[in-house]
Amino acid sequence: MPLLLLTVGLLGGVLLGQEALSPASLGALLADPGQPFARILLEWRLPRVLAAGCVGALLALGGAVFQGVFRNPLAEPYLLGSAGGAAVGATIGLLVPLSMPVTVTLPVLAFSGAWGATWLVLLLARTTSVAALLLAGVAVAAVLGAARSFLMLALSDETVSLQAVLAWTLGGVQTPSWRELAVLGGLTIVSFLLCRRLARGLDLLGLGEAVATSFGLEVRSFVRWAVLAGAFVVAVSVTWGGLVGFVGLVAPHLARWRSGPLHAALLPRAALIGAGITMFADGFARAVLPPAEIPLGLVTALVGGPFFLLVLAREAWRT
Amino acid sequence: MSVLEAHSVTWGVRARKLVHDVSISLRPGEVFGLLGPNGAGKSSLVRLLAGHVAPSSGCLTLDGTPLPSLPVRERAARIGYLPQQFTPHWDYQVQEILRLGLERSLNPHSTSALDHLAVAFDLGHLVGRRWSTLSGGERGRALAAAVLAPEPQVIIADEPAAALDIGQAAALMRRLRDHASRGAAVAVVVHDLNLAGRWCDRIGIMQQGRLLESGAAQSILRGATLDTAFGLAIERVDAADGSLVLAPRI
Repeated sequence: MPLLLLTVGLLGGVLLGQEALSPASLGALLADPGQPFARILLEWRLPRVLAAGCVGALLALGGAVFQGVFRNPLAEPYLLGSAGGAAVGATIGLLVPLSMPVTVTLPVLAFSGAWGATWLVLLLARTTSVAALLLAGVAVAAVLGAARSFLMLALSDETVSLQAVLAWTLGGVQTPSWRELAVLGGLTIVSFLLCRRLARGLDLLGLGEAVATSFGLEVRSFVRWAVLAGAFVVAVSVTWGGLVGFVGLVAPHLARWRSGPLHAALLPRAALIGAGITMFADGFARAVLPPAEIPLGLVTALVGGPFFLLVLAREAWRT
Repeated sequence: MSVLEAHSVTWGVRARKLVHDVSISLRPGEVFGLLGPNGAGKSSLVRLLAGHVAPSSGCLTLDGTPLPSLPVRERAARIGYLPQQFTPHWDYQVQEILRLGLERSLNPHSTSALDHLAVAFDLGHLVGRRWSTLSGGERGRALAAAVLAPEPQVIIADEPAAALDIGQAAALMRRLRDHASRGAAVAVVVHDLNLAGRWCDRIGIMQQGRLLESGAAQSILRGATLDTAFGLAIERVDAADGSLVLAPRI
């Protein structure tokens, strides 16, 4: 299923758009790369689709790590304030005139915000108990949400700026250059390897803290590192894709249904599924209202919302 | 000679001492039973003995080495901990839990180790089953298999028979006894006095965080401290086969 979803997502992302392509015309374009539309495809649409795939894979990895750490299938990657932190960073980047171009300040500030907010949650929670982390996460998210609203009210004097902030928070992937895509691809691979190292610890944590401890896991330090690793992964995805909801919740679920709960199998599958879903959603976002694009986060929320309810109902039925 | 020793250990949460100045030693080949009413501090003492928490005063040693200084992985391989309750957060297959238990072993295990383990614990037909589909007895066996997989030197069990029927409880105690006969030191919290009398070599009675008395099982079960600790009279009957039968007068 993961490879099928990845293929469907990749094809959907490449074929859908302002100018929709049929699989046959895609084949013709690839056979003659000199055509003008083939260049658009290779220099614009394909890098963007691949960037969306990386963002989706990162969200899925972050979601799988946070679900594993909190031992809760409803945990999502933005749980510990990383979304709020990234949004504050992006708001500053978009609304405060700084000496550097916004293409530099926005990702740097969004990344710093996401990463910094998670550090703050860890410091405030003091322990690594699930309840303490969640409470600290909710408190930090609330304060950051208020801070973002204040910044938007205080700093914007043009509607355009507010629209830019709003568009960013609704999620969306910009077309990267091939060099930028290589950086994102590299960070995605690093993130995957980082998460892969957590696999056994996450498996043990799923047995409960007492048994995990007796099976040789240093629960406190492991949870701390896993949260920071998860936050890093989410921060990378937020930096490139804004706040794209539900992928990080849905992809690990689908992977778990098929592969079971062991993270060595779950993580790569979740990443492939997340990539497939996000690539397809990005194509859909470009195709549905041409020439305008609807925000990627809106598409994923439209699909993810009902799925979330399905998961809730399933959990309620199980318990 | 002792394997695991607790020297005057005290531990608590904030100002409340849950274990107060307790000293016990676990010896190879022996099953040590911990008895006492609810809230006596048995589970807290078990957490200390398993190395899950560090005492606020006193010390614990494993073969003379202070427990906190042992690498976590070595402690996990040498001390097996059987919890009172176990509900995994994910729906693992039996074989996945057995593998996680086997991976604690300090020595590399062969690929057939899992099969041997499953057969030894009568789990051969269950290895592919998910946890949620198992009965209480099957879960008890699967968990015991995972915990005992690396043949730990010390086994700490916290009311492992609490959720089991009499037959399953006796079978589990027999397994612990078997491990003791192969050289392991076993400490087990039990509520059933007759199970304790049948399977334990020595018994300690706890009340309000203190170890009131400890010694040879038969002598402790016949003594008045047991009645005092539980706050009721216990009738003792010598059965025809020489064993002691205990029945609280309610």
